[in-house]
Amino acid sequence: MSAGVISPASVARPHAAHAPGRAVTVLAIRQIRRGGLIVVVLLAGLTALVAATYGRVMADPAAVGSMQALAGNPAIRTLFGEPAGLDTAGGFTVWRVGTFLAVLLGTWAILATTRITRGEEDTGRWDMLLAGRLPLRAVLARHLAAVAIVPVAAGTGIAAVLVASGTPARGALVHGAGTALLGLFFVAVAACTAQILPARAPATGLAVAVLGSGLLARMVGDGVTELGRLRWLSPFGLLALSGPYLQDRVLPLLLLLAATLVVTAAALAAAGRREVRGGLVTFASGRDARLTLLAGVETFAVRRVLRPLTGWTIGVGAYYLLIGLTAVSITGFLAGNPALADGAAEAGFAEVGSVAGLTATLFAILAMPAGGFIAVRMGAFVTAETDRLLVTLAAGPVSRTRLIGAEITATTGAAVTLVTAAGLATWAGVTVTGGDLSLAGALSGVWNILPIVLLSLGAAVFAAGWAPRLVSLIGGLPATGGFLLLVIADSVAAPGGVRDLSPFAHLAPVPLSEPAWTASTVMLVAAAALTVVGVAGYRRRDLGS
Amino acid sequence: MSRPALRATGLTKRYGRLTALDDLTLDVPAGEVFGFLGPNGAGKSTTIRLLLGLARPTAGQAWIFGVAASDVVRAHSQLAYVPADVALWPQLTGAEILHLQARTGPGTDEAYRDELVERFALDPSKPARTYSTGNRQKVALIAAFATRAPLLVLDEPTSGLDPLMEREFRTAVGAARDRGQTVFLSSHQLSEVEAVCDRVGILRAGRLADVATIQGLRGLHRSEVTVSYAGAEPVLSAIPGVEAVDAPGEGRLRFTLTGPPAPALRALAGADVTAMTVREPSLEEIFLDYYGTESAR
Repeated sequence: MSAGVISPASVARPHAAHAPGRAVTVLAIRQIRRGGLIVVVLLAGLTALVAATYGRVMADPAAVGSMQALAGNPAIRTLFGEPAGLDTAGGFTVWRVGTFLAVLLGTWAILATTRITRGEEDTGRWDMLLAGRLPLRAVLARHLAAVAIVPVAAGTGIAAVLVASGTPARGALVHGAGTALLGLFFVAVAACTAQILPARAPATGLAVAVLGSGLLARMVGDGVTELGRLRWLSPFGLLALSGPYLQDRVLPLLLLLAATLVVTAAALAAAGRREVRGGLVTFASGRDARLTLLAGVETFAVRRVLRPLTGWTIGVGAYYLLIGLTAVSITGFLAGNPALADGAAEAGFAEVGSVAGLTATLFAILAMPAGGFIAVRMGAFVTAETDRLLVTLAAGPVSRTRLIGAEITATTGAAVTLVTAAGLATWAGVTVTGGDLSLAGALSGVWNILPIVLLSLGAAVFAAGWAPRLVSLIGGLPATGGFLLLVIADSVAAPGGVRDLSPFAHLAPVPLSEPAWTASTVMLVAAAALTVVGVAGYRRRDLGS
Repeated sequence: MSRPALRATGLTKRYGRLTALDDLTLDVPAGEVFGFLGPNGAGKSTTIRLLLGLARPTAGQAWIFGVAASDVVRAHSQLAYVPADVALWPQLTGAEILHLQARTGPGTDEAYRDELVERFALDPSKPARTYSTGNRQKVALIAAFATRAPLLVLDEPTSGLDPLMEREFRTAVGAARDRGQTVFLSSHQLSEVEAVCDRVGILRAGRLADVATIQGLRGLHRSEVTVSYAGAEPVLSAIPGVEAVDAPGEGRLRFTLTGPPAPALRALAGADVTAMTVREPSLEEIFLDYYGTESAR
């Protein structure tokens, strides 16, 4: 059948000279550029800001001594990392925001990596990409390279602003490189879990679990001297062991680099061994129907929130349990060192001399994960709409108000559960260690932040109605944005009007004092107004398809 | 029933400067199987989104059994819908999705649903993420046909089905018709429309080009006549109804014929015609007549 054979020479290759790989890289970069830019600016900006405030915080020589003494307390070390080198602007900055920014970068790296790799594959968009000339492994490598730009840029930015603030270059480089490597490590971890598991949500969950246990290992290793070696097993621990501005050790960073390379290589090897849309682990191909919570729009919203709620509750609950377990030790230590308590207050931890004061301070921070949870869930609701999953529900006899109302109700219930679980975990931790925190006190403390959480919900619903693409961003604004605004306003001594824009500025330290009822009411009214306007927008806009 | 199952008056949708649907006025009486034909991008899905209240018209209005399309709770309690590109919750199995649809939809005949699952050969125990395009379509079709909703809105429902399943689909449409259900079937497949529809609306570039019965649509168009002759060539110029005369070969003539054939037959009678074929145009060709010249906007 020679007639059917087409000679290769006769087939025109009009664009053979164009590199298909470059097109894939550009595609990957386009998917992360906006979020990546925000992350880089946030990390470098916050680092610069804190480095700049060092002079003011440390103007009092007594404060310097107190901060040094903090280093001796295991509980402080557990929660905030080893306060090393607090007598320098660089060391202070690393202690104050280093871990926070590392967690932020690691989380972003995971979410971005699974979103543009496994997420795109899940939707089937990679089928077309992989029908091209690049094999799966090459496509994955190019996507990882694109995400990797962000940690590298963030680390470079951090090192640059630290050098620019006049801190020693070696410490700045170690901290910048460490942060970048940590981000790269989690890009690799997420890439790996995305090869192992055949769907985006469990891949993200597994990678976040790795991040959480890494953080926990660092906390335990920092707090319990005998278990100090645990830190060598945790990326956050290695970051701490590099000791920027103190020891400036390179070995931990080399280990982190080696781990990153090994995990990346494993991810790429796994990519070459699996089928597209499959994973190394496959789920059972069939199962019995589980019909609970499928009876209506409302129960289905509850069903969809249960699994993410479980994950978030485990993570947030573990952190607050740890806070509860260490609260007695911290407060006892601080009560015996009044000057130290003042120092802690200067560093942003007000009235930490009592369990009530310490927990009140840390409960305020709970608004961030709870607000983040709301933003993520409402973001998932809009994604379900753009993925056309909602269309079959919307084509039923279900009003738009009921559709989004079910989501709002389920999300609110889940957020209240999350916040309550954190309160219970704290109370349990304090009670086990013989501390003084009533159950009512713990619960009133965590429920005190609900107005901020509901403000996040209002913002997210407003965005779902009027700017659906920006739901996650706008939904995260009241809690995360508000907290950052407060920190920044405090750091640069901004006019009171700017600081007052943050809902955190109006939060009373419950259970230390009574809730600020007026402020809470104002926030709740604002939340309700945003929700009503958002639902009105959702009722009248076209559904995405 | 006096009220039409579906009515649109002056229905228009613009996205910025693009007019996706322009002044659509259409009545589909209850009990009819109505085909909605058009090429990709003609505005079929936009029309359906407006009819379902998923998108709001820039101008005009639509009614489902006399209920404004924007009143989705009442309007949707009388219809079931199969989207063009079916997306299903990936973590739910087929059975779970059918259950959810039955509970949130306009009411389902569960015995008939189970029968449809058998007939469409769907394995409902699998999670939706493992379903192929055709299987996702089956889930949506089963969910829609199993409702007793008086109106079924189907948007290109067979694009992913194999011929065997297409036959099941046609059977199910027939059963729906027998029960008195109205079917609004959007498609670009003529064979499908020809096989199941009573009437057809043709949409072109956002405008309704024509509404006709299948027979009427054919009647509007010319037949193609080919004759073979011996000797002198028959003279066909200036014969009413005869157009596009050409000679495909030695001793053969081909022309199109519109209207009564008598004048053409008289002209042929004078020649020594040895063979003659008259071919009805396929819907395909009718379709091309509509789109061939003005397919792009």
